[in-house]
Amino acid sequence: MAENPDNPIDEEIERSTGMTRDEAILAQQDRIQKEVEDTNPLVSERLPLVVLKEEYQADPVYSKKIEDMYASFPYIRKTRGDGNCFFRAFGFAYMEKLLTDKAELHRFKETIEKSKDTLIALGFPSFTLMDFYDTFMEVVNQIEEKPSLSELLATFCDQGMSDYLVVYLRLLTSAELQKEADFYQNFFEGNRTVKEFCSQEVEPMYKESDHIHIIALTSSLGVGVRVVYLDRGENQRANHHDFPEGMPPQIVLLYRPGHYDILYGE
Amino acid sequence: MASQNIDPMLPTMQNKEKKVNATRRKDGHSVTMRLQRELMNVMMSGSTEVSAFPEGDNIFKWIGTVKGPKGTVYEGLSFKLTLEFPADYPFSAPTIKFKTPCFHPNVDEQGNICLDILKEKWSAIHSVSSILVSLQSLLGEPNNDSPLNPLAADTWNNQAKFKELVHEFLKKNSKNKSS
Repeated sequence: MAENPDNPIDEEIERSTGMTRDEAILAQQDRIQKEVEDTNPLVSERLPLVVLKEEYQADPVYSKKIEDMYASFPYIRKTRGDGNCFFRAFGFAYMEKLLTDKAELHRFKETIEKSKDTLIALGFPSFTLMDFYDTFMEVVNQIEEKPSLSELLATFCDQGMSDYLVVYLRLLTSAELQKEADFYQNFFEGNRTVKEFCSQEVEPMYKESDHIHIIALTSSLGVGVRVVYLDRGENQRANHHDFPEGMPPQIVLLYRPGHYDILYGE
Repeated sequence: MASQNIDPMLPTMQNKEKKVNATRRKDGHSVTMRLQRELMNVMMSGSTEVSAFPEGDNIFKWIGTVKGPKGTVYEGLSFKLTLEFPADYPFSAPTIKFKTPCFHPNVDEQGNICLDILKEKWSAIHSVSSILVSLQSLLGEPNNDSPLNPLAADTWNNQAKFKELVHEFLKKNSKNKSS
Protein backbone atom coordinates (compact mmCIF):
# COMPACT_ATOMS: atom_id res chain seq x y z
CA MET A 1 0.00 0.00 0.00
CA ALA A 2 1.28 3.45 -0.88
CA GLU A 3 2.24 5.79 1.91
CA ASN A 4 1.20 8.96 0.17
CA PRO A 5 0.03 11.87 2.30
CA ASP A 6 -2.29 13.00 -0.47
CA ASN A 7 -3.66 9.51 -0.87
CA PRO A 8 -7.43 9.81 -1.43
CA ILE A 9 -7.93 6.62 0.62
CA ASP A 10 -6.24 8.23 3.62
CA GLU A 11 -8.46 11.27 3.25
CA GLU A 12 -11.50 9.05 2.97
CA ILE A 13 -10.50 7.17 6.15
CA GLU A 14 -9.99 10.40 7.99
CA ARG A 15 -13.31 11.81 6.84
CA SER A 16 -15.31 8.72 7.73
CA THR A 17 -13.61 7.73 10.99
CA GLY A 18 -12.09 10.96 12.25
CA MET A 19 -8.81 9.06 12.62
CA THR A 20 -5.56 9.04 10.69
CA ARG A 21 -4.83 5.87 8.79
CA ASP A 22 -2.44 4.51 11.46
CA GLU A 23 -4.94 5.18 14.19
CA ALA A 24 -7.66 3.51 12.15
CA ILE A 25 -5.43 0.44 11.65
CA LEU A 26 -4.68 0.22 15.35
CA ALA A 27 -8.35 0.57 16.19
CA GLN A 28 -9.16 -2.20 13.78
CA GLN A 29 -6.48 -4.48 15.28
CA ASP A 30 -8.03 -3.84 18.69
CA ARG A 31 -11.43 -4.77 17.31
CA ILE A 32 -10.05 -8.00 15.84
CA GLN A 33 -8.37 -8.85 19.12
CA LYS A 34 -11.63 -8.18 20.92
CA GLU A 35 -13.49 -10.35 18.44
CA VAL A 36 -11.05 -13.22 19.04
CA GLU A 37 -11.70 -12.87 22.75
CA ASP A 38 -15.47 -12.72 22.25
CA THR A 39 -15.71 -15.65 19.85
CA ASN A 40 -13.08 -17.85 21.55
CA PRO A 41 -13.88 -18.22 25.21
CA LEU A 42 -10.99 -19.25 27.49
CA VAL A 43 -12.67 -22.66 27.69
CA SER A 44 -15.50 -23.59 25.30
CA GLU A 45 -18.59 -25.74 25.73
CA ARG A 46 -18.25 -29.43 24.85
CA LEU A 47 -18.58 -29.62 21.07
CA PRO A 48 -18.86 -32.49 18.59
CA LEU A 49 -15.44 -33.28 17.10
CA VAL A 50 -16.72 -32.41 13.64
CA VAL A 51 -16.12 -28.73 14.48
CA LEU A 52 -12.42 -29.52 14.38
CA LYS A 53 -12.66 -31.02 10.92
CA GLU A 54 -14.39 -27.87 9.70
CA GLU A 55 -11.18 -25.97 10.48
CA TYR A 56 -9.24 -28.22 8.09
CA GLN A 57 -11.67 -28.57 5.20
CA ALA A 58 -9.06 -28.06 2.50
CA ASP A 59 -6.56 -30.32 4.21
CA PRO A 60 -6.84 -34.03 3.37
CA VAL A 61 -4.16 -35.17 5.86
CA TYR A 62 -5.77 -33.53 8.88
CA SER A 63 -9.32 -34.31 7.72
CA LYS A 64 -8.56 -38.01 7.45
CA LYS A 65 -6.88 -38.18 10.85
CA ILE A 66 -9.73 -36.30 12.52
CA GLU A 67 -12.32 -38.61 10.95
CA ASP A 68 -10.42 -41.58 12.34
CA MET A 69 -10.72 -40.04 15.79
CA TYR A 70 -14.54 -39.71 15.75
CA ALA A 71 -15.10 -43.17 17.17
CA SER A 72 -12.67 -42.85 20.11
CA PHE A 73 -13.21 -39.15 20.84
CA PRO A 74 -16.59 -37.86 19.73
CA TYR A 75 -16.29 -34.57 21.66
CA ILE A 76 -13.83 -31.72 22.10
CA ARG A 77 -13.62 -28.67 24.36
CA LYS A 78 -11.50 -25.90 22.93
CA THR A 79 -9.28 -23.51 24.85
CA ARG A 80 -8.09 -20.08 23.77
CA GLY A 81 -4.59 -20.03 22.30
CA ASP A 82 -2.87 -17.56 24.58
CA GLY A 83 0.21 -19.53 25.63
CA ASN A 84 -1.57 -20.79 28.76
CA CYS A 85 -3.65 -23.37 26.92
CA PHE A 86 -1.96 -26.47 28.35
CA PHE A 87 -2.47 -25.31 31.93
CA ARG A 88 -6.02 -24.18 31.27
CA ALA A 89 -6.94 -27.38 29.42
CA PHE A 90 -5.36 -29.58 32.07
CA GLY A 91 -6.91 -27.60 34.93
CA PHE A 92 -10.40 -27.66 33.49
CA ALA A 93 -10.41 -31.28 32.30
CA TYR A 94 -9.11 -32.54 35.63
CA MET A 95 -11.42 -30.44 37.78
CA GLU A 96 -14.35 -31.48 35.60
CA LYS A 97 -13.44 -35.05 36.48
CA LEU A 98 -13.32 -34.14 40.17
CA LEU A 99 -16.97 -33.08 39.98
CA THR A 100 -17.95 -36.75 39.95
CA ASP A 101 -15.02 -38.42 41.73
CA LYS A 102 -15.12 -37.77 45.47
CA ALA A 103 -12.18 -40.03 46.33
CA GLU A 104 -9.91 -38.36 43.80
CA LEU A 105 -11.09 -34.94 44.96
CA HIS A 106 -10.12 -35.82 48.51
CA ARG A 107 -6.67 -36.96 47.42
CA PHE A 108 -6.20 -33.85 45.28
CA LYS A 109 -7.19 -31.52 48.11
CA GLU A 110 -4.56 -33.05 50.36
CA THR A 111 -1.94 -32.76 47.63
CA ILE A 112 -2.71 -29.07 47.13
CA GLU A 113 -2.69 -28.36 50.87
CA LYS A 114 0.80 -29.85 51.10
CA SER A 115 1.99 -28.04 47.98
CA LYS A 116 1.75 -24.65 49.68
CA ASP A 117 4.41 -25.62 52.24
CA THR A 118 6.67 -27.00 49.51
CA LEU A 119 6.40 -23.74 47.61
CA ILE A 120 7.18 -21.65 50.67
CA ALA A 121 10.12 -23.91 51.53
CA LEU A 122 11.46 -23.34 48.01
CA GLY A 123 11.50 -19.61 48.67
CA PHE A 124 8.38 -18.39 46.89
CA PRO A 125 7.17 -15.21 48.64
CA SER A 126 4.22 -16.17 50.83
CA PHE A 127 2.47 -12.80 50.43
CA THR A 128 1.70 -13.29 46.73
CA LEU A 129 1.74 -17.09 46.87
CA MET A 130 -1.10 -17.23 49.39
CA ASP A 131 -3.25 -15.10 47.13
CA PHE A 132 -3.01 -17.72 44.37
CA TYR A 133 -3.25 -20.65 46.77
CA ASP A 134 -6.40 -19.27 48.43
CA THR A 135 -8.10 -18.74 45.09
CA PHE A 136 -7.15 -22.22 43.93
CA MET A 137 -8.50 -23.77 47.12
CA GLU A 138 -11.64 -21.67 46.89
CA VAL A 139 -12.37 -23.31 43.53
CA VAL A 140 -11.54 -26.82 44.85
CA ASN A 141 -13.84 -26.25 47.85
CA GLN A 142 -16.56 -25.02 45.55
CA ILE A 143 -16.33 -28.31 43.64
CA GLU A 144 -16.66 -30.21 46.92
CA GLU A 145 -19.59 -28.20 48.26
CA LYS A 146 -21.54 -27.71 45.08
CA PRO A 147 -20.28 -29.74 42.14
CA SER A 148 -21.65 -27.84 39.17
CA LEU A 149 -20.24 -28.05 35.66
CA SER A 150 -21.73 -24.72 34.63
CA GLU A 151 -20.17 -23.01 37.68
CA LEU A 152 -16.80 -24.56 36.90
CA LEU A 153 -17.02 -23.43 33.29
CA ALA A 154 -17.99 -19.91 34.41
CA THR A 155 -14.98 -19.86 36.75
CA PHE A 156 -12.60 -20.90 33.96
CA CYS A 157 -14.09 -18.34 31.57
CA ASP A 158 -13.74 -15.48 34.05
CA GLN A 159 -10.36 -14.07 33.05
CA GLY A 160 -9.39 -12.97 36.54
CA MET A 161 -10.23 -16.26 38.24
CA SER A 162 -8.99 -18.40 35.38
CA ASP A 163 -5.59 -16.71 35.26
CA TYR A 164 -5.19 -17.11 39.02
CA LEU A 165 -5.66 -20.87 38.57
CA VAL A 166 -3.15 -20.92 35.72
CA VAL A 167 -0.57 -19.14 37.87
CA TYR A 168 -0.91 -21.69 40.66
CA LEU A 169 -0.49 -24.58 38.20
CA ARG A 170 2.60 -22.85 36.83
CA LEU A 171 4.00 -22.52 40.35
CA LEU A 172 3.35 -26.22 41.06
CA THR A 173 5.21 -27.08 37.85
CA SER A 174 8.13 -24.87 38.81
CA ALA A 175 8.26 -26.35 42.32
CA GLU A 176 8.40 -29.90 40.97
CA LEU A 177 11.20 -29.01 38.56
CA GLN A 178 13.22 -27.37 41.32
CA LYS A 179 12.58 -30.13 43.84
CA GLU A 180 13.75 -32.78 41.38
CA ALA A 181 16.37 -30.55 39.75
CA ASP A 182 18.97 -33.36 39.58
CA PHE A 183 16.64 -35.36 37.34
CA TYR A 184 15.26 -32.53 35.19
CA GLN A 185 18.70 -31.00 34.67
CA ASN A 186 19.31 -33.85 32.19
CA PHE A 187 16.73 -32.37 29.83
CA PHE A 188 18.64 -29.15 29.30
CA GLU A 189 21.48 -28.58 26.92
CA GLY A 190 24.30 -26.22 27.78
CA ASN A 191 24.51 -24.29 31.02
CA ARG A 192 20.88 -23.47 31.56
CA THR A 193 19.96 -24.28 35.16
CA VAL A 194 16.56 -25.57 36.24
CA LYS A 195 16.05 -22.36 38.21
CA GLU A 196 16.76 -20.24 35.12
CA PHE A 197 14.37 -22.35 33.08
CA CYS A 198 11.63 -21.98 35.67
CA SER A 199 11.90 -18.22 35.90
CA GLN A 200 11.99 -17.84 32.10
CA GLU A 201 9.72 -20.56 30.74
CA VAL A 202 7.46 -21.79 33.53
CA GLU A 203 6.51 -19.04 35.98
CA PRO A 204 5.77 -16.20 33.49
CA MET A 205 2.25 -16.16 32.03
CA TYR A 206 1.66 -16.75 28.31
CA LYS A 207 4.80 -18.92 27.98
CA GLU A 208 3.95 -22.09 26.07
CA SER A 209 4.37 -25.53 27.59
CA ASP A 210 6.73 -28.20 26.43
CA HIS A 211 6.94 -31.90 27.36
CA ILE A 212 9.00 -31.05 30.40
CA HIS A 213 6.22 -28.82 31.81
CA ILE A 214 3.73 -31.64 31.31
CA ILE A 215 5.95 -34.29 32.89
CA ALA A 216 6.61 -32.06 35.90
CA LEU A 217 3.00 -31.04 36.54
CA THR A 218 1.49 -34.49 36.07
CA SER A 219 4.19 -36.10 38.27
CA SER A 220 3.78 -33.46 40.94
CA LEU A 221 0.01 -33.99 41.18
CA GLY A 222 -0.02 -37.71 40.44
CA VAL A 223 -2.52 -37.17 37.64
CA GLY A 224 -2.11 -39.19 34.45
CA VAL A 225 -2.73 -37.39 31.16
CA ARG A 226 -2.94 -38.83 27.66
CA VAL A 227 -1.89 -36.44 24.90
CA VAL A 228 -3.14 -37.25 21.40
CA TYR A 229 -0.97 -35.71 18.68
CA LEU A 230 -2.55 -34.38 15.53
CA ASP A 231 0.11 -33.35 13.05
CA ARG A 232 1.21 -33.74 9.46
CA GLY A 233 3.30 -36.82 10.27
CA GLU A 234 3.50 -39.84 7.96
CA ASN A 235 1.53 -42.19 10.17
CA GLN A 236 -2.09 -42.73 9.22
CA ARG A 237 -3.53 -42.28 12.69
CA ALA A 238 -2.92 -39.74 15.41
CA ASN A 239 -0.28 -40.92 17.92
CA HIS A 240 -0.61 -40.57 21.63
CA HIS A 241 1.64 -40.47 24.65
CA ASP A 242 0.89 -40.81 28.37
CA PHE A 243 2.34 -38.54 31.06
CA PRO A 244 3.90 -39.37 33.41
CA GLU A 245 5.08 -42.56 31.71
CA GLY A 246 3.15 -45.63 32.86
CA MET A 247 0.41 -43.86 34.82
CA PRO A 248 -3.15 -44.63 33.67
CA PRO A 249 -4.57 -41.45 32.12
CA GLN A 250 -7.47 -39.69 33.82
CA ILE A 251 -7.92 -37.07 31.11
CA VAL A 252 -7.14 -36.73 27.41
CA LEU A 253 -5.75 -33.62 25.72
CA LEU A 254 -5.41 -32.99 22.00
CA TYR A 255 -2.17 -31.44 20.78
CA ARG A 256 -1.90 -29.64 17.50
CA PRO A 257 1.42 -27.88 16.88
CA GLY A 258 1.43 -25.04 19.39
CA HIS A 259 -1.93 -25.74 21.00
CA TYR A 260 -3.80 -27.94 23.49
CA ASP A 261 -7.55 -28.69 23.68
CA ILE A 262 -9.55 -31.26 25.68
CA LEU A 263 -10.88 -34.52 24.20
CA TYR A 264 -13.75 -36.67 25.50
CA GLY A 265 -14.22 -40.38 25.05
CA GLU A 266 -17.96 -40.48 25.57
CA MET B 1 -12.83 -15.93 52.37
CA ALA B 2 -16.24 -14.83 53.67
CA SER B 3 -18.49 -13.18 51.16
CA GLN B 4 -19.21 -10.07 53.16
CA ASN B 5 -20.79 -8.13 50.36
CA ILE B 6 -23.62 -10.53 49.78
CA ASP B 7 -26.85 -9.75 51.53
CA PRO B 8 -28.11 -13.06 52.95
CA MET B 9 -31.65 -11.84 52.41
CA LEU B 10 -31.15 -11.62 48.66
CA PRO B 11 -33.77 -13.46 46.65
CA THR B 12 -32.53 -16.91 45.71
CA MET B 13 -33.36 -16.65 42.04
CA GLN B 14 -30.78 -18.56 40.04
CA ASN B 15 -29.96 -15.65 37.77
CA LYS B 16 -29.55 -13.14 40.51
CA GLU B 17 -27.32 -15.46 42.50
CA LYS B 18 -25.13 -15.97 39.52
CA LYS B 19 -24.75 -12.27 38.98
CA VAL B 20 -23.75 -11.63 42.59
CA ASN B 21 -21.25 -14.44 42.38
CA ALA B 22 -19.70 -13.08 39.23
CA THR B 23 -19.35 -9.60 40.69
CA ARG B 24 -17.75 -10.89 43.84
CA ARG B 25 -15.22 -12.82 41.83
CA LYS B 26 -14.37 -9.89 39.72
CA ASP B 27 -13.87 -7.69 42.76
CA GLY B 28 -11.87 -10.25 44.65
CA HIS B 29 -9.42 -10.78 41.82
CA SER B 30 -9.35 -7.44 40.10
CA VAL B 31 -6.19 -5.47 39.53
CA THR B 32 -7.37 -2.82 41.98
CA MET B 33 -7.78 -5.35 44.78
CA ARG B 34 -4.37 -6.82 44.19
CA LEU B 35 -2.78 -3.35 44.19
CA GLN B 36 -4.56 -2.44 47.41
CA ARG B 37 -3.23 -5.61 49.02
CA GLU B 38 0.24 -4.75 47.78
CA LEU B 39 -0.02 -1.25 49.19
CA MET B 40 -0.99 -2.72 52.55
CA ASN B 41 1.93 -5.14 52.31
CA VAL B 42 4.45 -2.38 51.57
CA MET B 43 3.14 -0.20 54.38
CA MET B 44 3.02 -3.02 56.94
CA SER B 45 6.55 -4.18 56.15
CA GLY B 46 7.92 -1.25 58.15
CA SER B 47 10.98 -1.15 55.89
CA THR B 48 13.13 1.97 56.13
CA GLU B 49 15.09 0.94 53.04
CA VAL B 50 12.29 0.94 50.44
CA SER B 51 8.81 2.43 50.28
CA ALA B 52 6.07 3.14 47.74
CA PHE B 53 2.73 4.92 47.58
CA PRO B 54 0.16 5.76 44.89
CA GLU B 55 0.61 9.14 43.25
CA GLY B 56 -2.63 10.98 43.86
CA ASP B 57 -5.91 9.11 43.39
CA ASN B 58 -4.71 6.79 40.68
CA ILE B 59 -3.89 3.34 42.10
CA PHE B 60 -2.22 2.42 38.78
CA LYS B 61 0.59 4.97 39.26
CA TRP B 62 2.90 4.89 42.26
CA ILE B 63 6.01 6.69 43.43
CA GLY B 64 8.61 4.48 45.06
CA THR B 65 11.74 5.25 47.05
CA VAL B 66 14.85 3.10 47.35
CA LYS B 67 17.75 4.01 49.61
CA GLY B 68 21.28 3.52 48.34
CA PRO B 69 22.52 0.32 50.01
CA LYS B 70 25.01 0.72 52.87
CA GLY B 71 28.62 0.01 52.00
CA THR B 72 28.09 0.88 48.31
CA VAL B 73 28.85 4.01 46.29
CA TYR B 74 25.17 4.92 46.61
CA GLU B 75 25.15 5.00 50.43
CA GLY B 76 23.46 8.12 51.78
CA LEU B 77 21.50 8.74 48.57
CA SER B 78 17.81 8.12 48.07
CA PHE B 79 16.25 7.36 44.69
CA LYS B 80 12.70 8.04 43.61
CA LEU B 81 11.05 5.80 41.04
CA THR B 82 7.83 5.85 39.05
CA LEU B 83 5.79 2.65 38.90
CA GLU B 84 3.03 2.19 36.32
CA PHE B 85 0.82 -0.88 36.41
CA PRO B 86 -0.76 -2.34 33.25
CA ALA B 87 -4.44 -3.31 33.09
CA ASP B 88 -3.53 -7.02 33.23
CA TYR B 89 -1.26 -6.69 36.28
CA PRO B 90 0.04 -8.92 37.89
CA PHE B 91 0.14 -11.10 34.75
CA SER B 92 2.27 -8.45 33.02
CA ALA B 93 5.07 -6.48 34.65
CA PRO B 94 4.77 -2.87 35.81
CA THR B 95 6.84 -0.21 34.02
CA ILE B 96 9.40 1.16 36.44
CA LYS B 97 11.75 4.09 35.89
CA PHE B 98 14.18 6.06 38.00
CA LYS B 99 12.84 9.56 38.59
CA THR B 100 15.97 10.62 40.47
CA PRO B 101 18.92 10.65 38.03
CA CYS B 102 20.86 7.44 38.61
CA PHE B 103 24.33 6.75 37.21
CA HIS B 104 24.33 2.97 37.00
CA PRO B 105 25.35 0.35 34.40
CA ASN B 106 21.76 -0.93 34.02
CA VAL B 107 19.94 2.42 33.99
CA ASP B 108 19.88 4.75 30.98
CA GLU B 109 19.73 8.56 30.88
CA GLN B 110 15.92 8.53 30.82
CA GLY B 111 15.80 6.37 33.91
CA ASN B 112 14.80 3.15 32.08
CA ILE B 113 15.95 0.05 33.90
CA CYS B 114 17.26 -3.23 32.51
CA LEU B 115 16.37 -5.92 35.03
CA ASP B 116 15.33 -9.45 34.05
CA ILE B 117 12.47 -9.80 36.53
CA LEU B 118 10.86 -6.69 34.99
CA LYS B 119 11.19 -8.20 31.52
CA GLU B 120 11.40 -11.84 30.44
CA LYS B 121 11.45 -13.20 33.98
CA TRP B 122 8.40 -11.34 35.19
CA SER B 123 5.80 -13.53 36.90
CA ALA B 124 2.70 -12.83 38.94
CA ILE B 125 4.49 -14.05 42.06
CA HIS B 126 6.58 -10.87 42.19
CA SER B 127 5.22 -7.84 44.00
CA VAL B 128 5.99 -4.17 44.51
CA SER B 129 7.94 -4.89 47.66
CA SER B 130 9.96 -7.72 46.10
CA ILE B 131 10.73 -5.55 43.05
CA LEU B 132 11.93 -2.66 45.19
CA VAL B 133 14.20 -4.98 47.17
CA SER B 134 15.59 -6.37 43.90
CA LEU B 135 16.18 -2.84 42.62
CA GLN B 136 18.06 -1.97 45.79
CA SER B 137 20.26 -5.05 45.31
CA LEU B 138 20.78 -4.10 41.67
CA LEU B 139 22.29 -0.78 42.78
CA GLY B 140 25.07 -2.56 44.64
CA GLU B 141 25.41 -5.51 42.24
CA PRO B 142 25.06 -4.33 38.64
CA ASN B 143 25.05 -6.64 35.67
CA ASN B 144 28.00 -5.24 33.73
CA ASP B 145 27.67 -7.67 30.82
CA SER B 146 24.77 -5.96 29.08
CA PRO B 147 24.93 -2.33 30.16
CA LEU B 148 22.49 0.44 29.23
CA ASN B 149 25.13 2.91 30.39
CA PRO B 150 28.51 1.68 29.01
CA LEU B 151 30.51 4.42 30.77
CA ALA B 152 29.12 3.31 34.12
CA ALA B 153 29.90 -0.33 33.35
CA ASP B 154 33.48 0.55 32.35
CA THR B 155 34.05 2.66 35.45
CA TRP B 156 32.52 0.18 37.95
CA ASN B 157 35.89 -1.35 38.86
CA ASN B 158 37.20 2.06 39.92
CA GLN B 159 34.81 2.66 42.80
CA ALA B 160 36.25 6.04 43.88
CA LYS B 161 35.89 7.43 40.38
CA PHE B 162 32.46 5.80 40.06
CA LYS B 163 31.22 7.52 43.19
CA GLU B 164 32.33 10.89 41.81
CA LEU B 165 30.42 10.22 38.61
CA VAL B 166 27.31 9.22 40.54
CA HIS B 167 27.23 12.57 42.30
CA GLU B 168 28.18 14.51 39.17
CA PHE B 169 25.40 12.81 37.20
CA LEU B 170 22.87 13.52 39.91
CA LYS B 171 23.86 17.18 40.12
CA LYS B 172 23.96 17.76 36.37
CA ASN B 173 20.69 16.03 35.56
CA SER B 174 18.75 17.40 38.51
CA LYS B 175 19.73 20.90 37.40
CA ASN B 176 18.61 20.20 33.83
CA LYS B 177 15.29 18.94 35.05
CA SER B 178 14.40 21.95 37.16
CA SER B 179 15.46 24.54 34.55
